[in-house]
Amino acid sequence: MRERMEKALRKSDAEYTEIRIENVTSSRANFRGEELDNIGSSKTLGGIVRALVKGGWGYATFNDISDLDTRVREACGCARLIGKEESGFAEVEPVVDEITAPLEKDFREISLLEKKSVIEEYNKIILGYHDKIETSNVGYGDSFRKVWYANSEGTYIEDERPDVGVAMSATGREGDNVQQGFESVAGNSGFQVIEGLQKKAEAAAKHAVDLLAAPPVTGGKYTVIINPRLAGVFAHEAFGHLSESDFVYENERMKELMVLGKRLGSDILNIIDDGSIRGLRGTHKYDDEGVKTRKNYLIKDGILVGRLHSRETAAKMGEQPTGNARAIGYQHRPIVRMTNTYIDRGTASFEDMIKDVKLGLYAIDMVGGQTSMEMFTFSAAYGYIVRDGKIAELVRDVVLTGNVFETLMHIDMISDTIEWPPAGGGCGKGGQSPLPVGLGGPCVRIQDVVVGGRQQ
Amino acid sequence: MIVNRLIEKAMRKAQGAQAALGQSESTNVSFEDDKLKSAGAAQSTGMSVKVIVDGKIGSSHTTDIDDVDGVVTRALEAAALGGPAHFEFPGPQEGPDVKVYDDAVPPVTKEEMVRIGEEMMSLVKGYRSDILVSAGAGKSVSKGQFTNSAGTEYTTQTTSFGVGVNGQWVRGTDILLAGHSFGWKKREIDHAAIAGKAIELLKMAENIAPIKSGTMPVIFTPVGVNVLLLALRLGFNGKNVFLGSSPLAGKLGQKIAHETISITDNPLLDYAKSSGKYDGEGVPHQVTPLIEKGVVRNFLYDLDTAGRARAKTTGNGVGCNPTNLVIKEGDTPYEEMMKNTKEGLLVHNVLGLGQGNPISGEFSVNVQLGYKIENGEIVGRVKDIMLAGNTYEALRNIAAVGDKAEWAGGSLLTPPVQIAGLSVVAR
Repeated sequence: MRERMEKALRKSDAEYTEIRIENVTSSRANFRGEELDNIGSSKTLGGIVRALVKGGWGYATFNDISDLDTRVREACGCARLIGKEESGFAEVEPVVDEITAPLEKDFREISLLEKKSVIEEYNKIILGYHDKIETSNVGYGDSFRKVWYANSEGTYIEDERPDVGVAMSATGREGDNVQQGFESVAGNSGFQVIEGLQKKAEAAAKHAVDLLAAPPVTGGKYTVIINPRLAGVFAHEAFGHLSESDFVYENERMKELMVLGKRLGSDILNIIDDGSIRGLRGTHKYDDEGVKTRKNYLIKDGILVGRLHSRETAAKMGEQPTGNARAIGYQHRPIVRMTNTYIDRGTASFEDMIKDVKLGLYAIDMVGGQTSMEMFTFSAAYGYIVRDGKIAELVRDVVLTGNVFETLMHIDMISDTIEWPPAGGGCGKGGQSPLPVGLGGPCVRIQDVVVGGRQQ
Repeated sequence: MIVNRLIEKAMRKAQGAQAALGQSESTNVSFEDDKLKSAGAAQSTGMSVKVIVDGKIGSSHTTDIDDVDGVVTRALEAAALGGPAHFEFPGPQEGPDVKVYDDAVPPVTKEEMVRIGEEMMSLVKGYRSDILVSAGAGKSVSKGQFTNSAGTEYTTQTTSFGVGVNGQWVRGTDILLAGHSFGWKKREIDHAAIAGKAIELLKMAENIAPIKSGTMPVIFTPVGVNVLLLALRLGFNGKNVFLGSSPLAGKLGQKIAHETISITDNPLLDYAKSSGKYDGEGVPHQVTPLIEKGVVRNFLYDLDTAGRARAKTTGNGVGCNPTNLVIKEGDTPYEEMMKNTKEGLLVHNVLGLGQGNPISGEFSVNVQLGYKIENGEIVGRVKDIMLAGNTYEALRNIAAVGDKAEWAGGSLLTPPVQIAGLSVVAR
C-alpha cells in the first residue's frame, strides 16, 4: 500500500497532499424485545485525498481505490479552484510508524453466534426483570479499522483502531407513562470489554422501572452535583467545543473573547484534553494529520491556557499543533476535535459537596449534550433531589443548561477522584458523528444551574 | 446487472433474497469565515444483500462491488443465526409516479456553486459586515439497482442539490448563530431567498430581550416544529408501536390531538428529499395519513414489522420511519398568530433535542434561536432559557395552526404552529 500511496502522492502539484485509506470490517447484532431484530456484518474500503493550494483545500473521497492517481489529480484540481491566499500549515517532523492494536480478546476471531449469545443473555435479564418492562433494545457492534496514512512530507503511518460496544435500553411502561433506562459500554481493548455486563443490564431495567414512579424534575435554578460520567459531558459541551480553534482562528472577535490568559473559571478549575491516555476511546498515537497526540491543558487554575489545534489552525494562530485533527472515517476530512476531555480532580469528598446543600440536584450519568458555543445543554439519565444535605427522591427528565461565560465560574467544588466509565456513544460536529471520545472526570458541584421543566 | 448475480448466488442456499446496489457522485464547495475554503468530490459505492434461510434473516453490506462472493457468504452466515422472518419478499408491483431526477442538477459546475456561495455571503455581509459568514452548495447524482427473488426489479436515478448560509455574530461575550439552508432533488432553489431568510433570523435577534420564568404561548416556526415532531417520528414507528414502547400503541382511531392537527407521511411529493417510487424493500411508496383532525389513523410499517404486527406494510421499509412529513395548513395567518400574542415566544431552533426520553413525548431544551413576543411584536432574541413540555399534551393544547405551509429542510412541509402554553425557565 505504501508504495502505491507514495507513487500517487508524487502526481500532486499541490503544496501539501495526503492520502488516507481505511479498511473497516464490522459486525452487529440487535435484539428488540424478545426477537433478534437484525444480525449481519459489513466490509468497507475507501479513502480520501486532501490537497492544499494557496490556503484552499481540495478533497476527493472514494470507494474505488484502484486509481489513486486520478483521485490525487481531482483533489489538486479542487484545491486550485479555491486557493487565493497564503497557506498556513504548521511544520511537524515526518514520522514513519506502524501501530498494532493490542486486543486482549480479538473480536474478529469470535463467532457471530457468541456475540449474539452475549447480548441475548443481557436482553433476557432486562425482559425478565419486572412485569412493568414493556420491551428492550440491546445491540452489539464492533469494528476493526485499519488506516493507512501517507503525506507529501514523507509521513507514513499504519494504524489499527478497534472499537467494540454494547448498548442496552429497557423500556418500562405503565399506561401512557413510558420510561427508559440506558447503559452502554464500549472500548478498544477487545471483546472482554462487553462481557460480564449482567449487572449493567439489570441496572438499565431497574432505572426504567424506577423512573415510572419518579416525577419530572421541577424547573428552576439549582445547586447541581454531577457525577463523573455527566462531568465528562459537561467538560465537553460547556467548554471543550469552544477550545476547538477552528471556531477561533479566522475570527477576530472570537480571538479577543478567547484570548489566552483570560479567566474563565474559579481557581479550582483545571480542564485537560489528552489523546494519549492509555485505553480510552478518544486515544490514538497520532491524529489524522499524522501529529502525535498529547496532554493539553486548556484551563489551568481557572485561566484559559491552551486550545486544540489542527496543523492549519496552529499555524494561523502562531501556536503549536496539539494532535487534535480527527476524522470519523474516510469520507471526511480531519477537523479540530476533542479526544478525552476532563475536569481535573479537586480536593472535596462527595459528602462535603452535598452536606450544606439545602435544595439541590444530584444529576447522574448522561444521555447527551449540545452546544452553540456560548450556550449549552447536558442531559442526565436521571437525578436525585438533594434536600438538607441528604440525597432524597428520584426525579426524571433532568436537562441542565448553562452559559460558558458564567457556568464555569459557578463551579465551587470538585471531588478528589477521577473515573473514566467505559461508556459508548460519541461526539458530533460538522456532519461527522459519532466520533469516539473519552468522557469522564470527578464529581463537580455547580451553583445556580438552570434546569428545564414545569414549574410548581 | 450486479444485483442479479447477487441474487443468483444467494439463492443457491437461500429461499428468498434481496439485493441492492447504490452508486453516487457528489461535489460541494464551502465557504468558512467569509472565505472560500474548500471544494470536494466524492465517489461512493455500496451494495447490500438480505437473505432468508430456513425462515431466518441475515444481511451484509460492502463498498467493494467486486466482492459478490464475500457479501453473499457473510449474509448467509448471519442468517444461520438470524431472527425469524415474518414476511416474504414482495413480487413486482408498479410504483406511483414521482419526480426524483432533475436534468438541471448534473451540469452544475463547481464554479457555479462558488458563485451561489459568494452571492449568499455578500447578501448577509450586506446586512451587517461584522457578521462572519459560512456558506456552501452541493450536488449529487445517484444510481441504484434493486432486485429480489420474487421478481421485483427496478433501477433508480436520483439527483440532489442543496445550499446553505450561516452567520456568526459576536458581540462581547454574546455569540449568535443563525442561518438557513435547503436541499432537495431539484436544482431550482432561490439561494437569495435562503440568504434572505437567514438575514431575517439575524435581524430579529439584534436585541436581547429579557424574559421571566413562567408558562406562555409558544409559536414554533416551520423549522421549530421539529421540536414537536421528534416524539411523533418515534411514536408512529410501527416497530415501537408493536413493541409497546410507543405511547400511541393501542390508540388507533383515538383522538390524541386538537382537531386542527392533520399529519401525513408523503413520499410522493415531487423532488422532496425522501421521495421515491419504492421503499428500500421494493414496496411501492404510498401516502399514509397519520393523524386526521386529531385522530390516529395509521402507523408506519415495513414488511417484517407488518408481519409481526399483523398489519400491512405502508412502504416505510426498512425501519418503519417516516419519509416526508406534511402537516396540514390551518386557518390562522402567521401575522394574526403573532398579533394575538400578548406575551410569548417564537421558537426556531433548540439545543438538546432528543437527549432525554423523546419517545414519551417529554422535551426539555435550551432555546438556541428564539424570540420574545410582546403585544404582537418581536422585541428581541431570548437567551439562556429552557423550554419544557410534552408533545402529546402540546398537541391537545393548540392555539393556532398557520394558513401557509413552508419547507423546513427537504422533507418537512409545515405551517407554523402555536401552542397555548409551555413552561419556560429563565435565569
